[in-house]
Amino acid sequence: MAIEARHTSLPLRRAAVAAAALGILLSAGAFDFALADPFGVSQGSPPPEFGGFAGWILAEQSMFYQMLSGTIRSAKSNGSAVYALLGISFVYGVFHAAGPGHGKAVISSYLVANHETWRRGIVLSAASAVLQSLTAILIVAVAALLLNATAKMMDDTVNVIETVSYIFIILIGARLLWVKGRAFTKLLWTETQEHPRDHRHDHEHDHRHAHHDHEEEDASAWGHAHALEPQELAGPRGWRRGLTAVVSVGLRPCSGAIIVLVFALTQGLFWIGIASTFMMGLGTAITVASIAMLAVGARGIAAKIARAKPGRGLLFLRGLETAAAALVMIFGFLLLTGYMMSEKLMGI
Amino acid sequence: MTALLRIVLVAVVSLALAGHALAHPHIWVTMKTELIYAPDGSVTGVRHDWAFDDMYSAFATQGLDQQTKGVFTREELAPLAKVNIDTLKDSDYFTFVTADGKKIPLSDPPADYWLDYNDTVLTLHFTLPFKQPVKAKNLLIEIYDPTIYVDFEFAKENPVSTVGAPAQCKLKYQRPPEMKFTFSQGKVLGEAFFNSLTPAQNWGARFANKIMVNCG
Repeated sequence: MAIEARHTSLPLRRAAVAAAALGILLSAGAFDFALADPFGVSQGSPPPEFGGFAGWILAEQSMFYQMLSGTIRSAKSNGSAVYALLGISFVYGVFHAAGPGHGKAVISSYLVANHETWRRGIVLSAASAVLQSLTAILIVAVAALLLNATAKMMDDTVNVIETVSYIFIILIGARLLWVKGRAFTKLLWTETQEHPRDHRHDHEHDHRHAHHDHEEEDASAWGHAHALEPQELAGPRGWRRGLTAVVSVGLRPCSGAIIVLVFALTQGLFWIGIASTFMMGLGTAITVASIAMLAVGARGIAAKIARAKPGRGLLFLRGLETAAAALVMIFGFLLLTGYMMSEKLMGI
Repeated sequence: MTALLRIVLVAVVSLALAGHALAHPHIWVTMKTELIYAPDGSVTGVRHDWAFDDMYSAFATQGLDQQTKGVFTREELAPLAKVNIDTLKDSDYFTFVTADGKKIPLSDPPADYWLDYNDTVLTLHFTLPFKQPVKAKNLLIEIYDPTIYVDFEFAKENPVSTVGAPAQCKLKYQRPPEMKFTFSQGKVLGEAFFNSLTPAQNWGARFANKIMVNCG
């Protein structure tokens, strides 16, 4: 990468750095370690420097997860253990979300592809984490508490939800890819047409204060690319679209939360399990939101650099969004086919 | 520009190849394993006793029919045992056998498997036959979950034994590096350990419980 960048001009080099940073961020969720290579090609794909940090994350979440059962048990006789449990649950959530999992990878890619704002990035990632807690609680409350269903039935339920969730992710990715890809190829086409380009507007600035009546003028300024533009996102329709992403990611409950909830239930402390699950969700929300913020920030830097180079910079930005959109879809496929494992419930 | 696009492309492709995620352990198994010998001195298979941690035991027994509260009979646990054994097939029963460096294929367990439930702990008992009886100078049996979703650990006392082994065969076993964490003894694998792992390595295998038989 460094060698490639050396041959490009300074702003482009910075853009390359931003792109690389973005790649790393997006990969945060997906880059786990090469276990058995799913494609059978084997031998080293992810960079080794991830090992140390990711290994540490793994050890931490492992430790906190194991603390949970003991604390729930002591909460039975000792009321103050409840506070310890809530604290442990929260920290577990923070670490668990930092470890492997598809949630933040999909959300980060989605935010980049869709050119979302900081504020919305925080809200969307937090909402997906809270929704994850809610589905776990709902499944256990209905299945175990009301219907006295077996673990196998809960597992089957989660599998169905999981499949639906992954199909949603593929659909969202496909839609984004269609919109962004079209904008990208159109722009690529106009670029190669070599027509005089003097429309050097401050696009980013425009969009931040964009209103619907600017749509026409703006679209032409972006090289006739009638894509999903920020002004469209700013309206209620954009929120609704964002919610689809949240639902598709947050639908799949965390299996750890389900096991903890059922265990709490058998100890006669279901409400403690619920509180613990919400604390896990809160911890998860903080981590996912921070990672999403890094992705949004990296995209912002890329946009700033792109503005310095009106033609090609924009093309680069559109390419980035298209790649992120493709990523959302790829994640969906990998998850659905089991190449990118999330979590199982009935491990045995 | 093309350089940039290439960078983006590389990022996307490497992400697509990222593959399996690594979960942290959600299930802890304490096990005892027995090697079964035929009269001619060949190994025909292994017998596993796997005790699950109480959180998973509570989860797995949720909603099962029971006559007496807090007690599960072998019959009441039979459907769950079947689910366990059927699911384990996908994971190769977490048991990997090598004889003189050659991988040994395993057969599915016969129907003599069962679960019992004592003191909130669920234990799975099953036999795992080798496809063919094996006579080897060096036999290696590794038990681990490549995804580390299940954490395996030999029992504290007499975790490995043999039934009818020839006198010249020496049995040894090796525990994986510590990956247990408790309040009192916070023995945590250091950053250095994880850094020492190269990406191409099978992570779960680093946490394998090993049984070695030398009949030299």
